[in-house]
Order: sequence, then structure tokens, then C-alpha cells
Amino acid sequence: MHIADGILSTEMAAAADAVSVGALYVFGKRARTEEIPKMGIMAAALFVVSLIHFPVAGTSVHLGLFGLAGILLGFRAVPVVFTALLFQSLLFQHGGLLSLGVNVINMSAGAVAAYFLWRIRPVPEALRAFLCGFVGIIVPALLMAVEFELSGYGRGIYYLMSIYVIAAGAEGILSAMIIGFFRKVDPRILPKYPVIKEKK
Amino acid sequence: MKHDYLDKYSRLDSFIHKLDPRVKLICFFLAVVAVVSEPRGDLTGFPFYYLLIILLLAASRIPLSFVLKRCLIASPFIVMAAGVLPLSYLLSPGASASPSSAESMWFHPLSILLKAYAAVILLTLLSSTEKFHRLLNGLQKLKFPPVLGVMSALMYRYIFILNDEMLRTTRARKSRTPGKSRISRFRIYGNQAALIFLRGKKRAQDVYNAMMSRGFQGEFQEYNGFRLKLRDGLFSLLFLALYTGVRFGL
Repeated sequence: MHIADGILSTEMAAAADAVSVGALYVFGKRARTEEIPKMGIMAAALFVVSLIHFPVAGTSVHLGLFGLAGILLGFRAVPVVFTALLFQSLLFQHGGLLSLGVNVINMSAGAVAAYFLWRIRPVPEALRAFLCGFVGIIVPALLMAVEFELSGYGRGIYYLMSIYVIAAGAEGILSAMIIGFFRKVDPRILPKYPVIKEKK
Repeated sequence: MKHDYLDKYSRLDSFIHKLDPRVKLICFFLAVVAVVSEPRGDLTGFPFYYLLIILLLAASRIPLSFVLKRCLIASPFIVMAAGVLPLSYLLSPGASASPSSAESMWFHPLSILLKAYAAVILLTLLSSTEKFHRLLNGLQKLKFPPVLGVMSALMYRYIFILNDEMLRTTRARKSRTPGKSRISRFRIYGNQAALIFLRGKKRAQDVYNAMMSRGFQGEFQEYNGFRLKLRDGLFSLLFLALYTGVRFGL
């Protein structure tokens, strides 16, 4: 799902870079000084946890954790996602440098969608956690499909979406397990007891 | 602490390793822009781009096997993206905007593959010929936003510690789950991820407290040891002239 350089049109990648810079300015400015180190280390934790590979349908997939980032960080997931993607791009060539903006928009959209879903209180927590994990993958995948179509790839990409539905399902189950573990071991990390406070 | 895999070739001694990180960041980024902005389906510039890349690789002394491994890691997505065009054409030949003909159905995916792999190799060269913390310092010098600079610096420091945590918990998981069914193993993966995250969060709090007690004001001291030398100027002029020349067919 990390779009490499040269896949989308240069115009689209450049426009997405501009939009993501604007989003980073807005959401980065909201962060208070004392929050930044915590966000950096949480970004490292998300990055490392996303390196765990687990077996699904005969292949090995890794976690994205954008849904979890949305639950725990809200809109502050945007700079965290940016930093994690910059690292993945430079260190492992997962995603390109010019297409960093597109990837930031896609993955952050998944995190923000999860943030809003998590706030729907009447739904049981395990189901909410599953849905957050699911949208954390499926929203970026759908945005990617739209971007492919706009870049002149036709509609073939929509036929490949089934792969991401399986990955999103797996991520949803794991997100529910992670949130369940948090609830049992240290519920203070969950947003009812915010780790990162809103700016006054 | 096992972290040599991140920038293990940054300690080699070559002309490219000695360049200023700011020069490398700008030059390689512009080279990626030049390559990926080639019109889709137009393959004329790629022999020259790849010739330049091969020369850079030879000069950098980065082992070819390492570069190929990086290309392999990026391959699933790149191959999938290139495969979408023929798929769209075969599913609805008249409807898709591009490719418009059976001939371009093959040239377009080929140009996508060539562009994407060229960008992957250029990024591999950038990240493997410089220590990662110096690349971050270079970004800071190029007016990277301070918020992201601090986050990146901390992230880089703690990736290694948390990665050690992951290796330890993975060893524990493997030693305690021989012959377990797939479904119960799935639960263990979730618990492992949650445990690493909780330990990371605790460490974040401890680090924050320690930083505040030492007078942290929200920004790290900026590194001032970079000096542009003649070789940086010559390299950037030649490098950009060649890439621009190929891009605009001069």
C-alpha cells in the first residue's frame, strides 16, 4: 500500500505533497512542546510494531496500525504517520520520497476515520476496535484505488482490492486484540484517559 | 542492540560517502523527480538514467546484492501497479483512458517499472551512503519543520531499543508456542504488539520526564558541523546537469 515513486502522475504526487505539508503545518502547530517527544517515541513504537509479520492465507503480512494510531492520537496521528512513512521510505524503500505526500494523505485518512469511529460510544469496544483497524487499512486502499484511476490506470485496480479486504480484516482482528490487551493491562492508554492532552 | 541493518554501508569510504548530506538530499530528490516525470510509455531516456545509476553504484561501493534486495522488497507493490494497466485494458479495452492501444499496453507498464526501480535504487543510494542521523541533521539544515525534526530524532533513537524489545518478545513467543493452532497464535501476535506498545509508552514517559528535568525546551541543538566543499559543488553541478540533460533530451 506504500505507493512507490513513478507510479502515480508527477502532478498528482506534487499536489499531494503540497496538501500534506499544509496538513502537517496545521496539526503540527497544535502539538504542545511536551507532547512532541512522546509523539516521537510513540511513532517509533508504531513503526517497530508494524515490523511484526504474521501468517495469513499462506503468506506473511505486517501490521499497518493506522487505525490504532487514530484511536490513540486523534489528529496528531498526521505528523506521526508522516514521520513513520519518511523513515520507511528512507530506510527500507517502502514508499517513495516524491510520493510521500500521497502516502501521508492516504494513511492519515485511515487514522482520522478510525478516530471518528472510535468515538461512537454505543457500539461495543471490541467491535469498535475491529472497525477502526479495518478502516485504517481499507480507507487508504480505497483512496489509493481512486488515485490510480485518476492517474490513468483504468479500473483494474478495483479488482485487486480483495487483497486489501483480507488484510483489513486481519488488521481489524489484531486491533481488537490489542485494544483488549490495553483494557486488561493498562486502560489509561485508551483515549478516555488521554495520553496526549488537547491544547487549551 | 542489533541495528546494523539500518545504515550498515554508511561507513564505507567513497566519493559519494564524503559528500555533504544536504547536497545528496537535494541532488537525489531532484534526480527522482527527473526520472519519475518522464512521460508514461516513453522509454528513450532510461538507458541514460540507468547508466548514470550504474556509475553511481560503482562509485559508492554499495554491494549490488544489497541494492537488488531492496528492489525485491519494493517489488510486490511496483509489479502490482504495473500489472494494473494490462488488467484494465483486458477487462475493458474501450473504456480505460490509458493505455489506448495494445502496443502501449506493454510500453506503459515497462516505463512504470523502470521509473519505480530507478527511484528505489536512487533512494537506496541516498540512505546507504550516509549515516541516518546525519541525513536528519541535513534535513534540519534544509529547514525541515522543527516539530518533525524533534520527532524524527527521537524516533530514530528509540527504534533500536524498541526493536530489541520486539526481538526479545518474538523469541519468547516462539519458545512458548510450539505446535499451537493458527488462531491461538493470532491472539499471541496481538498480545505481543500490545506489549511492545505499552513498554514503548512507558519509556516515552520516562524519557520525557528525564528531558524536562534537564531543561529541554522543545528543540534539539542544531548541528553546525556541515561545510560545503569544492567536491560538493562539482558533484551537484555535474549530477544535475546530466539528469536535467537526459530529462529534457539535450
